[in-house]
Amino acid sequence: MADGMINLTIDGAPVSVPPGTLVIEAAKQAGVLVPHYCYHPGLPVAGVCRMCLVEVEKAPKLQIACATTVTEGMVVKTQTAQAKDARQSVLEFLLINHPLDCPICDQAGECELQDFVFQEGQARTRYAEFAKRFNPVEDFGPDVLYVPNRCILCTRCVRFMEDVAKEPVLNVSERGDRAFIGIHPEARLDHPWAGNVVDLCPVGSLLSKDFLHKARAWELDKTASICTGCSQGCNITLDTRDEVVVRVRPRPNLEVNRYFICDHGRMHYKWMNRGDRIEAPLVRAGAELKATDWDEALDRVAAILRGAEGRTAVALVSPGASSEALALAKRVFTGFAWTGAFQVVMGEEAPLTGVPDLALRAERAPNAKGAETLGYTRDYAQALAAAKSAAVVLVLDDPDCAVETNGTLIYLGTVLGVDAPCRRADVILPIANVAEEEGTFTNRDGRTQRYYQAKPAPGMAQPAAWVLGQLVAAMGLAEAQR
Amino acid sequence: MPIGVKVMKRPIKQTSYLRATLKGMALTFSHLLRPKVTMQYPEEKSSKDWTLSSRWRGTHRMLTDEQGRAKCVACGLCPQICPANCIKLVPGEDEEGNRYPLIYEIDEFRCIFCGYCQEVCPEEAIHVGVHYENSEYSRDRFVYDLERLTAQTHPVSTLWDPSDPKGE
Repeated sequence: MADGMINLTIDGAPVSVPPGTLVIEAAKQAGVLVPHYCYHPGLPVAGVCRMCLVEVEKAPKLQIACATTVTEGMVVKTQTAQAKDARQSVLEFLLINHPLDCPICDQAGECELQDFVFQEGQARTRYAEFAKRFNPVEDFGPDVLYVPNRCILCTRCVRFMEDVAKEPVLNVSERGDRAFIGIHPEARLDHPWAGNVVDLCPVGSLLSKDFLHKARAWELDKTASICTGCSQGCNITLDTRDEVVVRVRPRPNLEVNRYFICDHGRMHYKWMNRGDRIEAPLVRAGAELKATDWDEALDRVAAILRGAEGRTAVALVSPGASSEALALAKRVFTGFAWTGAFQVVMGEEAPLTGVPDLALRAERAPNAKGAETLGYTRDYAQALAAAKSAAVVLVLDDPDCAVETNGTLIYLGTVLGVDAPCRRADVILPIANVAEEEGTFTNRDGRTQRYYQAKPAPGMAQPAAWVLGQLVAAMGLAEAQR
Repeated sequence: MPIGVKVMKRPIKQTSYLRATLKGMALTFSHLLRPKVTMQYPEEKSSKDWTLSSRWRGTHRMLTDEQGRAKCVACGLCPQICPANCIKLVPGEDEEGNRYPLIYEIDEFRCIFCGYCQEVCPEEAIHVGVHYENSEYSRDRFVYDLERLTAQTHPVSTLWDPSDPKGE
């Protein structure tokens, strides 16, 4: 065991942790989840829910695992009769006023109160003769609803707004059984990161209006992904129901986004479900675009590229394309005088004050750094000008690209507007969007992160990396640059 | 004489059919005097000796509240538990913002009438019914929507014997 580590025993399992570690975190290492509500690794410790009571040998009474730091030789027991009885009593108190509305509660299925009551709560109430307290639902902010009846006053939301977002608009109002989460009378919960209180809430008290009544937790398929909202590269989970993305949730990554994502990223998923997609490869036959199969379309592109070899080529790409696609979109022009450029939509920067180096970045593109690393430039205007006289112009997933060219235009995209400039292309190839393919993005700090496929691509659409890979192979370049 | 046929000589007592006929007719006439068990379906659907069990699981019925609206809150448990995957539910909200099904359809052809939907329903809204006459002129009429389910009037199944709930 390493020096400077503290050795203790939790439920009979020896663990060795750095000094200052909390018992609840050490227990996770021992494979023991101590039930808890107010404790969250991303928030300051409050110790108000009294749920994580455990027995510590030689301590006079039960200790809360979330506020007790480990000491050498400590012996922690989480499953003794005394500890279990204490936790059962806490659960009983929480359930006195908690409504039995799990069937209509959005949190059902991922509710910590449900989980722990099933795990160690008692099956019946002893308070049946008294009516439960009732408070009406409150509208907290643009995307947050507060259902006070379900609240267990863990204060995670209060601490998030106060210590992480540094905009203390929430508090605990009133006392005792009348207590509820109050909001400043003149304020709204409209901080750009306020949506995190919905994820932090262990019960269904804080709800997302966007997700309200949309799906049940057990119907969702979860896929690890990377947020495409900005260049921060927050790790997210895409929740899909029947192959439709219905929700975006943060995926903890202590190096990038800790436990949080901003509201921009949270709402930045509806485009993934667009119905008006290009579903088949289109090749030009005179004035018409004709739908065809991949073989013909790829042969056509390969013929165009062979005919123009050695001349100028311009690639206008989206900084939302995967690094794999971007690399192949460059390699396919081996032997050309190649220029590649991308443009980034800019927005307002919105930092999360309590977490260093975490913000909704002004650069609203996930892979600008990756594109730059691969040799694409930010000089979009110059590339557009160069496109006019280029022999071949490749547009990669940039539907609003104002491209004009006298050469051959090839468009790889997900959508095509009725009067989009790319409609003049000679070949249009349908590609998958970020939720439909696997790939990597490089965020602004140079961290390359992988995202996975959450749903199938529509029609014949294929990932851009596959399409460009086929072209590279057709051009005989597959082995060229090894 | 090519083949010799031996003719048996039996006493008349054995060869007469009269005795057997009378015996048979006696049984027949004795049935005339016994109580009738035939039910004149469809004029008659139950008798004092036989009725459909209250535990019979037939086509569904959705119960309604005092305002005549379906009791369903679109919790999603019945499509989840359904082993035949015959329930289609799209949750949404009603005018007052309460959780309510936008679409609730049961495909009675796919249904295996296990009664799990009734057992799992926290609102006692969906029930299997004591009902067995389901003829229709087209197959698509067997997909019951919410309106059709609430309009059913047949009694609902008790699923278990009320006097012996544990089945002992």
